[in-house]
Amino acid sequence: MGVHRFGDQRGDRCRRPLLPVLRPYLYLLPTFFFLFVFTHWPILRTFYVSFFKWNMASPTMEFVGLANYAQAWNAPVFWEVLRNNLLFAAGTVPLTLGLALALALLINQKIRGLAIYRVFLFYPTMIPMAAAAMIWLWILTPNYGLLNYYGRWFGLPDIHWLGDNKLAIWALVLVGVWKRVGYYMVIYLAGLQVIPEYLYEAARIEGAGPWQRFWKVTFPLVSPTTFFVAVMVVIDSFQAIDQVYLMTGGGPGNATNLFIFYIYQNAFRFFDFGYASAISAILFLILLGLTVLAFRTLHRKVHYA
Amino acid sequence: MRSRAAWSPAAHVILALAALVMIVPLVWIVLTAFKERNEVFSQIPQWLPAHPTFTNFLGVLDAMPFWQYYWNTIAVAFGLLAIQVVTVTLAAYAFARMEFWGRDVLFILLLVQLMIAPQSTVVQNYITVTRLGLLDTKLAIMAPYLASAYGTFLLRQTFKGIPKELEEAAALDGCGGIRFLLHVAIPLALPGYLAFGLVSITYHWNEFFWPLVVTETTRSRTLTLGLGIFAQTAEGSADWTMLMAMTLMVIAVPLIVFLVFQKRFINSFMQSGLGG
Repeated sequence: MGVHRFGDQRGDRCRRPLLPVLRPYLYLLPTFFFLFVFTHWPILRTFYVSFFKWNMASPTMEFVGLANYAQAWNAPVFWEVLRNNLLFAAGTVPLTLGLALALALLINQKIRGLAIYRVFLFYPTMIPMAAAAMIWLWILTPNYGLLNYYGRWFGLPDIHWLGDNKLAIWALVLVGVWKRVGYYMVIYLAGLQVIPEYLYEAARIEGAGPWQRFWKVTFPLVSPTTFFVAVMVVIDSFQAIDQVYLMTGGGPGNATNLFIFYIYQNAFRFFDFGYASAISAILFLILLGLTVLAFRTLHRKVHYA
Repeated sequence: MRSRAAWSPAAHVILALAALVMIVPLVWIVLTAFKERNEVFSQIPQWLPAHPTFTNFLGVLDAMPFWQYYWNTIAVAFGLLAIQVVTVTLAAYAFARMEFWGRDVLFILLLVQLMIAPQSTVVQNYITVTRLGLLDTKLAIMAPYLASAYGTFLLRQTFKGIPKELEEAAALDGCGGIRFLLHVAIPLALPGYLAFGLVSITYHWNEFFWPLVVTETTRSRTLTLGLGIFAQTAEGSADWTMLMAMTLMVIAVPLIVFLVFQKRFINSFMQSGLGG
């Protein structure tokens, strides 16, 4: 709107604010006040504190340089947590992506009963992860759990999913996929709906079968969505905490200890704020890199559409 | 079109199977919630409760201040939304329709909130909340979300779509500035508010980790925490029927609301993904 001078003829009957130049900043003040206190400041402060020793043993902050980072580097648990998180992502990403795309393709066909399918597939997005964790704790429970009941049909032995070093992380993957696949299906649907119908018509006239139409038309054209969703699922997987806290407590041993849970343990169980800040800073950098990647694709997609 | 018709039966079979896999867990906990306590410890799955009972639900009400949790959850989710609507409207309007020095830089500083994971600042925000004397209050649960980059981003797009001519005409009629915002811009942006509101309320109704960190008593704890804490107690972790009854009590109302307005919910979440 620019700066108004007194004597401007427009809007005579409207009272003009005293300082029009300041008006936009006044509008932004509440948002930026909260943003600074709870977003910008904590980021800066996390990096700052990560260079200090600050724990139960030394309650006054003491500058130690990179010692907290060195501690992470030398801690086997840190590497185990990182490995777990990568494993969790490696399980969640392809499963979520593949299933979400497949379901979106099926639902995108304007078939009857579409709304019902969509509701059934989407509802886990609406419930709290805490509730999903309870549901799956009960289903995965040894002896009386639903999964073991029906596993027996296929000759599987009773498996203690969450008590097993190797299996526990995959149980968490299962819960994560079940909870999120409907959401990403819907994101894919949005991506599929912008593909113009005439491309399919043209492909059909050229004699392309459904399989070819998928690989030559659909797949390339939803690839920005695919990339975006992949990055989002990876970011999600680095933020997973609720199901770890409620289903396994990071165990058995540290087999399901993921990044956020590791931060939680160090900050709120061992009260080592310096070390917890250093791992938070590492996580922050990992997630920032991934998000920048996601935003770049998003922009491309916006231009494309 | 013929090839579509040929696809259809196969599509129905696959979708029905997928839907079944998704819904079975829910059906199973609903049925468990109505069973008697010992009924679940059987070697053969019993789907239907032999003697349907409400004991588990009453047990939940005895075991914890359930209604207090419920009230806290409502107060946090809706109280937060009320504040967010104010902060988000003003910021979105400024970004969408005003020219000022530093606008692009400020917009990027806003987007930082979308780019970082809230979990990576939990430790520092806990310290801030403690120093402000807000520990164990509902305000502490709301604090990191009082400004919303997502909401600002969404409404900025909506406000941008309002034609300049409309604003000039309104100004001529003596309806410029804040009055234009209140009487023209906001009513035109109602679908945007609805989408933002549904996503915000769902997110905060369901949130677990941050409230876990900043609450200490039933004074401020929300439903998800009540559920989580009950599950970790000795009697809770062994009592599947009661645990499932409580899970059902936590999710029932939001699920019914979702069923009724499913299209709106799904569209809102679709937008949230596209908005970042």
